Amino acid sequence: MAEAVPAEERLFSLVLALVATEHGLTKADILSSVQGYRQRYQPGGDNATLERQFERDKDDIRDLGVPLETLESPLEVGNNHLLRYRIPKGAYDLPGEVVFTAEETTLLNLAAEVWREGSLSSESRRALLKLRSLGVDVDDTTIGYAPRVRVREPAFDALAEAISRHLVVRFDYVKPGETAAVTRSVEPWALVKHEGRWHLSAFDLDRGAKRTFLLSRIVGTVTKTRTTFTPPDGDPAEEALADLQRVFDSGQVIVDVVPGSDAELRLEGRDRRTGIEAGEGGRRRLVIGCSDPALLADELASYGPEAKVVSPESVRAGVIERLRRVARSHVPVGEAR
Amino acid sequence: MANPMQAQDKLTFLLSLVPYLIEHDGVDVPEAAAHFGVSDDEMRAAVRLIAVSGIPGDSSAYQPDDLFDINWDAFEEDDRIELTHAVAIDDSPRFSAREAAALLAGLQYLSALPENLDRATIASLSRKLASGASAAPSPVAVAAGAAASLVAPLRAALIAGVRIEFDYRTARGDSERRIVDPLRIDSEDQNWYLRAWDHGREAVRTFRLDRMSSLTTTDQPISRTGRDVALPDSLFETSPDDLTVRIEVSDSALPLLGDFLPDGTRTSKGSIRGLTDATVRVGHYHGLKRLVASLPGLVTVLGPADARATVADWAREGLSQYDD
Repeated sequence: MAEAVPAEERLFSLVLALVATEHGLTKADILSSVQGYRQRYQPGGDNATLERQFERDKDDIRDLGVPLETLESPLEVGNNHLLRYRIPKGAYDLPGEVVFTAEETTLLNLAAEVWREGSLSSESRRALLKLRSLGVDVDDTTIGYAPRVRVREPAFDALAEAISRHLVVRFDYVKPGETAAVTRSVEPWALVKHEGRWHLSAFDLDRGAKRTFLLSRIVGTVTKTRTTFTPPDGDPAEEALADLQRVFDSGQVIVDVVPGSDAELRLEGRDRRTGIEAGEGGRRRLVIGCSDPALLADELASYGPEAKVVSPESVRAGVIERLRRVARSHVPVGEAR
Repeated sequence: MANPMQAQDKLTFLLSLVPYLIEHDGVDVPEAAAHFGVSDDEMRAAVRLIAVSGIPGDSSAYQPDDLFDINWDAFEEDDRIELTHAVAIDDSPRFSAREAAALLAGLQYLSALPENLDRATIASLSRKLASGASAAPSPVAVAAGAAASLVAPLRAALIAGVRIEFDYRTARGDSERRIVDPLRIDSEDQNWYLRAWDHGREAVRTFRLDRMSSLTTTDQPISRTGRDVALPDSLFETSPDDLTVRIEVSDSALPLLGDFLPDGTRTSKGSIRGLTDATVRVGHYHGLKRLVASLPGLVTVLGPADARATVADWAREGLSQYDD
């Protein structure tokens, strides 16, 4: 039984070997000579397990941003045994002009702290390790802040991976205001957080058009297919944010809130009026933006008697319908529902 | 580092440590460990691994010249790291597309903070991150929110280390003057909080900035600091007085419940397929009724009866506004 070499030692040795080689190493070279593989290599025997290990290791290394290249043999294109692997040092090294001041390093540390769950948190942790290798110490000016952006939606990690690998995905989706899920098949383009909610901007293959999905309305798991797509030109994330903001700004909902209530606290920050305006019956009138009438109706229903929708009718009717449903489902046990 | 490192994290650590050790010729283990935010033992293990690693070389056997080397005496006796020979790598690795994206999106969110973060700083950092990444940063973005106006004065009090006073309105609607030592300003998405030592309650409390008013900064120094008091990561303190409520949740709504369903919540299969029963703890019914009303048909309170009645009353009072 060969001694067990820890995974990080095998991966580290593989990176060193592939950076050091100028012309690349074949799979056989690697499996027979690199630390962590060579101990388990059977000369002339079956190395299928080890080969699968190598495939996984390549993916793991590329995930870290290490440019692991595959070179075809010019003599025999398509012959996998003659493929050569290497990591060009110029593409591996952080360019010399990329330097960060102590102040910038401090900001980046705080930016990394924003993520405390899911893949964004592992990625920022790794980015910080790389940042620290530059040796700049952090100054204290931002201590006292603990900013955080939540990534509660379980769909996030699978979508982020599918976006970076350009894979078509399928998922079940419940549109706001509806209760039944419908399966959607999309090219995932960008993930953006707007008004506290994660959205996926994607090209819906069945509808043949760009659509925005709320991650919190994705039910169950996201299935990554093997179909790849060409990502759109430009910056799809910035475009998605701008689209959401445009829709949000164009919506105009008038709400009368009870002064001093929770509804006033939560909504006044979004008020578009400059002064304080009186509503009906001693209430305060607010005019707020709206990106999705059904979503806003959910929120406004939660304020119960503290907020009354004046207009538009779609939101007003939506709130009334929601409150009726809640009242109906909470009649005392024993009475008819 | 809070969580144990996975193989990919450990590899990143090794690749990052090498250029740092080349740059810092002779560094004590505790200093290097503190710089990378790892334990002294993790640092020693990494140095030992680097010291025996290298490249297979021409003969496909690892020869001494093809291996890293350190000053073993200094390492074993003085806990000091001196790299004496390096192979293959000498520079920091680039960021991956997703690593760069995580930092960029974090920066976008931070641009709501009142200081330092003008557009020019962010733009310059974004350019550097993009050119330091192995591929174009992944499309992930966060809309910059607006920080509450109280952030700046609270931050000033925090830096000055002085006690503050303010009126605080609870979710129940009553208001009270609170005297606190500010410990930290937290934010979660659009919401801002002050974590503080509350002198009236003799305990750490979390205050929502939008419920605070009439802030006064005193000149009295604080008696507790962030170092004296452990601040839990969760913003919501549970208390023995909490009420237990049974709810039925549509499976599709589970992610929407957020902190109402902390990890470890007792759940079971609901009355019909696609429903989950959960037992949750709440400080009072005020938050519960709002949550249930925001998820009509997706969350139902099963019991106790007074919790159901509170929710029903809330919805009926809401409806009565439209009886005209």
